[in-house]
Amino acid sequence: MQLQDIFSNLMELLSYDATAPMIFSSGLFWFLFILFMPIYAVLKNRRWQMLVFVVAFSLYFYYKSSGLFFLLLVCTSLLDWILSRVLVKLDSKGAKKACVAASIITSLSILGYFKYANFFLWNWNQMVEGNFQPLDIILPVGISFYTFQSISYIVDVYKGRVAPTRTWLEYLFFLSFFPALVAGPIVRADYFLPQVEQNSRPKREEIYLGFWMIILGIIKKAIIADYISQYNDLIFSSPTGYSGFESLMGVIGYTMQIYCDFSGYSDMAIGIALIMGFKLSPNFNFPYKSKNLTEFWRRWHISLSSWLRDYLYIPLGGNRKGTIRTYVNNFLTMLIGGLWHGAAWKFVFWGGMHGVGLAVHKASKPLLDKIPNIYPVKLLSWTVTIIYVSLLWVFFRAESWTDSWLIIKNIFTNFSVAHIAAFLEVRYVWCIMMAVIILSHAMPRRWYDKMGEMFVNSNWLIKTLIFIIVVQFVIQFMSEDVAPFIYFQF
Amino acid sequence: MKRGYLGLWSILVLTFLLFITASSFDSINICGLELKTSGMYDRLIQVDEVKVSGDTVQIDNDDTFKRQPVDTTAQNILFIGDSMLEGLSPRLAAYAKENGHKMNTVIWYSSTSNVWGECDTLKTFIRRFKPTYVFICLGANELFVKDIVKKRDKYVKTMLSQIGDIPYLWIGPPNWKEDTGINDLIAANAKPGCFFLSNGMHFDRAKDGAHPTRSSAVQWMDSVVRWMPENCAHPIRLNIPQEKTAKPQRVVVLQPKR
Repeated sequence: MQLQDIFSNLMELLSYDATAPMIFSSGLFWFLFILFMPIYAVLKNRRWQMLVFVVAFSLYFYYKSSGLFFLLLVCTSLLDWILSRVLVKLDSKGAKKACVAASIITSLSILGYFKYANFFLWNWNQMVEGNFQPLDIILPVGISFYTFQSISYIVDVYKGRVAPTRTWLEYLFFLSFFPALVAGPIVRADYFLPQVEQNSRPKREEIYLGFWMIILGIIKKAIIADYISQYNDLIFSSPTGYSGFESLMGVIGYTMQIYCDFSGYSDMAIGIALIMGFKLSPNFNFPYKSKNLTEFWRRWHISLSSWLRDYLYIPLGGNRKGTIRTYVNNFLTMLIGGLWHGAAWKFVFWGGMHGVGLAVHKASKPLLDKIPNIYPVKLLSWTVTIIYVSLLWVFFRAESWTDSWLIIKNIFTNFSVAHIAAFLEVRYVWCIMMAVIILSHAMPRRWYDKMGEMFVNSNWLIKTLIFIIVVQFVIQFMSEDVAPFIYFQF
Repeated sequence: MKRGYLGLWSILVLTFLLFITASSFDSINICGLELKTSGMYDRLIQVDEVKVSGDTVQIDNDDTFKRQPVDTTAQNILFIGDSMLEGLSPRLAAYAKENGHKMNTVIWYSSTSNVWGECDTLKTFIRRFKPTYVFICLGANELFVKDIVKKRDKYVKTMLSQIGDIPYLWIGPPNWKEDTGINDLIAANAKPGCFFLSNGMHFDRAKDGAHPTRSSAVQWMDSVVRWMPENCAHPIRLNIPQEKTAKPQRVVVLQPKR
């Protein structure tokens, strides 16, 4: 083994590999972050140098996941920034609107081409009974996230909520900020740009709180979600191959998996940003504690649901145009929210059914408010909500409509308690993982805060030991390869 | 560097160095507890030119074996292996259903030849299901093992000895990169006409980059079946099924060994 072999392997690792995007739970990311940190710490007080350095790192991070598509990000940001600068100098409202329209149409056209072209072509061919040949299109990672950021930026500039950045570099920093680049949270300019301007150094407590969030994220994503996914995948890949009880466990398992996967990744993103001295707004707030669907969407993927509310639901008229329009607006917003998740009818259906659920909840709210808010009622509300949400996850996850219905049918027609004991015996690790996540979900928020505080105040050796133990757990439970992050595809 | 950053950076560096050092070992045993190691060291030092590391394998299989005619009787098939069976098993089950065979599947996630070879799990399932034909798909988790012959030869031999005289077919792993010798090792140990080399085939991969997609796995199984009549030592009746996939009679899932 020669040094040049090691160098060549390292180069291969650092080059773009479509099959191995860089995610926060990979060893490569942490190797690079170790190199990144000291340089960042030195440059943090030199604002412009820091901006250049972070932008360069972010673009490399994006290149590692999407290859030359990082140039698309660069071009989009340049166009948006130029339009935003032009916009504020214009007096005519019509011209300003034209700038906003140009920016939004460009962003949505790019997103539409990469994400939805094949979907629309397929549907078109279905209608005209043509011969569908899919276009060879690779979806750039995270395009849905940064497109929404770019739209909110130009709209906010137009509305005067935020001033356009003085330089393109600052805007590129905002759009390409690597912790949130490929999978959110969707960062809002009015929240983030003042922090870039201020560029304050993080306190020691914030650095370690960020580290604590990363550790929590690793536990959720790389240990729990990746492990339980092995069983869940099995159920969804063979919808009728298992008993009703096993299918039910698969559905509950996926409900927890998608939460751990996505919220874990968000925790890591928020933690890394915090270490760098930037605060990102929380993306999850114990969504499965929700007692109705409205509450669920206030707790689940908060950055997306608040974006949809502010840039779609309210512009559509929100609840200002009468009851029927409120329901319709709600439904349309959720339908588009569903389509945002992926170019397939199953996502549209998933979003649409959430829209229906929200409308039903809104319609029945006056009636529900009359019922006393006692414990059994709360329990019933929670049960109905979690069952509805979990059943809709089946359509979200399954490969096809048929598979979704087969799994649901299997739960109701092939259920036997006789399978429970055998299941517990064979899949005890899976059950332990599920118990951990369910119990941790039931824990009060203040316990988490207390644990975070204790970690921050613990001595260096304890922190190191905790981190080593967590990493060893990741390796111990790792399947053959690092499981991709579910929301990567969106 | 500011103190807060220095403290965190030193934790990360220390942890990284610890795990990269540990990864130069296959596993570490502490008080009877086997700790897995990461693949970082191997990723850094692997040499592409090395096809087979460790002792070389002598492939002395006689290609001119006497092929049996297609056995048209109903078989009792046992299909064992790693997670690749998720895609292969439903398709083989469809063939089994179409041709009147019975089929049972045992998926041992993340399993390798040494996982199977150092226990009698295979023997137990053979005793339980009494197969007349065994399909194996194993090796995907051993593509990059160093000194593969030294480390795995005895386990492959043990596995095959547990199968004994039952006709079998070992489906090789779907390489996504050149392996360090697992294919050669299996080929060297398997009886003539009992190993299907999957290396070199094109697969559409799932998002993990390793597993073929479900439709690609269907094509993979179809390729195996097409190969069998002319090349397999014990071809059985496997007419093309009408259904794309089917359910095996029983699927046993074993969790990864820790």
